[in-house]
Amino acid sequence: MKERKTSVFDGLLADNTVLSSLMVISPVIVCGDTLRNAAALIAAFSVITFFSVMISSFVPRKIPYAARIVSYAVISSLIYIPVRIAAGEFWPEAVERIGIYFPLLAVNSLIVFQTEARFFRMKRTNMVLSLVFYILGFDAVMLVTAFVRELLAYGTINSMMTDTPMLISGLGKPFGGFIFLGMLCGIYRKIRSAAGHRKEEEQEE
Amino acid sequence: MLKKAERERHTFPDMMLTLLVLVLMAFFYHGIHALMLAAVCAAFSLAAEMISVKFLGREFRYGDLMCITDGIILSLMMPASMAYRAAAAGSVFAVVCAKNVFGGRKNMIFSPAAAGYIFMLTSWKKDMLSFPETYAHTGFFADTEGLASSASHIYNTTGRMEHTGYEILMGSFSGPMGGVSILLLMIAAAVLILRKDISAGAFAGTIASTVLFAAIAAEHGTKMRTAALAVAMNMVLFAAVYIVSDKRLAPRKAHFAFFYGFFTAAAAYILVLTMAKENAIVIVSVLMAPAALGFRTLEDKIDILSAEEVSAKEAE
Repeated sequence: MKERKTSVFDGLLADNTVLSSLMVISPVIVCGDTLRNAAALIAAFSVITFFSVMISSFVPRKIPYAARIVSYAVISSLIYIPVRIAAGEFWPEAVERIGIYFPLLAVNSLIVFQTEARFFRMKRTNMVLSLVFYILGFDAVMLVTAFVRELLAYGTINSMMTDTPMLISGLGKPFGGFIFLGMLCGIYRKIRSAAGHRKEEEQEE
Repeated sequence: MLKKAERERHTFPDMMLTLLVLVLMAFFYHGIHALMLAAVCAAFSLAAEMISVKFLGREFRYGDLMCITDGIILSLMMPASMAYRAAAAGSVFAVVCAKNVFGGRKNMIFSPAAAGYIFMLTSWKKDMLSFPETYAHTGFFADTEGLASSASHIYNTTGRMEHTGYEILMGSFSGPMGGVSILLLMIAAAVLILRKDISAGAFAGTIASTVLFAAIAAEHGTKMRTAALAVAMNMVLFAAVYIVSDKRLAPRKAHFAFFYGFFTAAAAYILVLTMAKENAIVIVSVLMAPAALGFRTLEDKIDILSAEEVSAKEAE
């Protein structure tokens, strides 16, 4: 297998958090059916993940691995509290609709797994940039998914009615979210593979 | 091997013949819209199949034409007043998401028509469960007024059946376009079983289970009447012929297929009895997909072990 050169920008396109690594897919599938839900989730995910990983990067490496992971979860849970209060002020209905998936953001894969597997092996500057782009990768997919699903399932954009000729309410349900995300993953991988082939051909030339 | 290939070649024309008869009956009862609905579903299924086969990097072969039957089966499960756009979306979903995403006709997991039906039921529930009266001919663009619940729904919720036996046999009651023509479905079942185009075991198991459970749980009328109505209502006979007994999905060995059909129908009947779930057998057939796959895997293992035993004996 050819080794691909990694970059700090990978999290957005080349190794997208959701489409490539299939991380944090539950909120996208279950709650990513309207732009309001997406906005609440994006804000919470971005703030919790960024600050949790940044603070967790100062946890000493001498502590055993299992204890470190527990400490990351505790840190993110503490950060979750003010985020939840703020989200409740800005998006009260969305937070209620999102339900259990909101607190689950506090223990998403980027915090409990990717910290040790990727981020903490990088230099701090690269780590911050890479983290930002991984967060942006999730945000982008969440926005696109929520926009398309809300338009096709409910005929609205950010709760404003549009003149959509046909509504497919199944897309607003979790099974519709699964299928839509699966299709999106397939299209993403096809584009990435085609782009990879083209780059190889250009390099050979 | 050659006989198997020859047999598979006549499955498509046989299925199309029986389905076209049902479509013609639907045209007789509901007018041009019923015919157009079947045509739209067939056309969109074919287009979706051709495009997705190209994406899979394969050639479009004769066996891929079964997508047309899937489209027509799906259309026959709809009301005659269904919108063309919704029917087209359902057909594309059935072919692309329920079949080709998993590898196409060689790796089928669900009946595409059943999965398409469930997709349409969740997306357009009110439209899918509102039916025009028999002989109410809808024009090219269906008149959505005057729609009512199906006879199956009324029977499930109240236990009353106001149609005579003759009307039920002829399909002269409100319901899905193809699911109501009981006499035609019985003839289609006989033709397809004798031609070995559908699984006789799965069909027998489905009907046997429905009749048995209906006779046991008969509340209104005689056991015989309840059993007959249980088979005629809720698309049980239609699903038994075109979905549960689909040879692409049902277990190959007759006894395995019988049990697969038996448990599918049993679960569906329980849903009908307890939740008055209309057309539950179509929903249950998708849920029972793992069981069908399990049976097929078991059959493959048995075949491999038998082949190994035979070759070991020959080696001795």
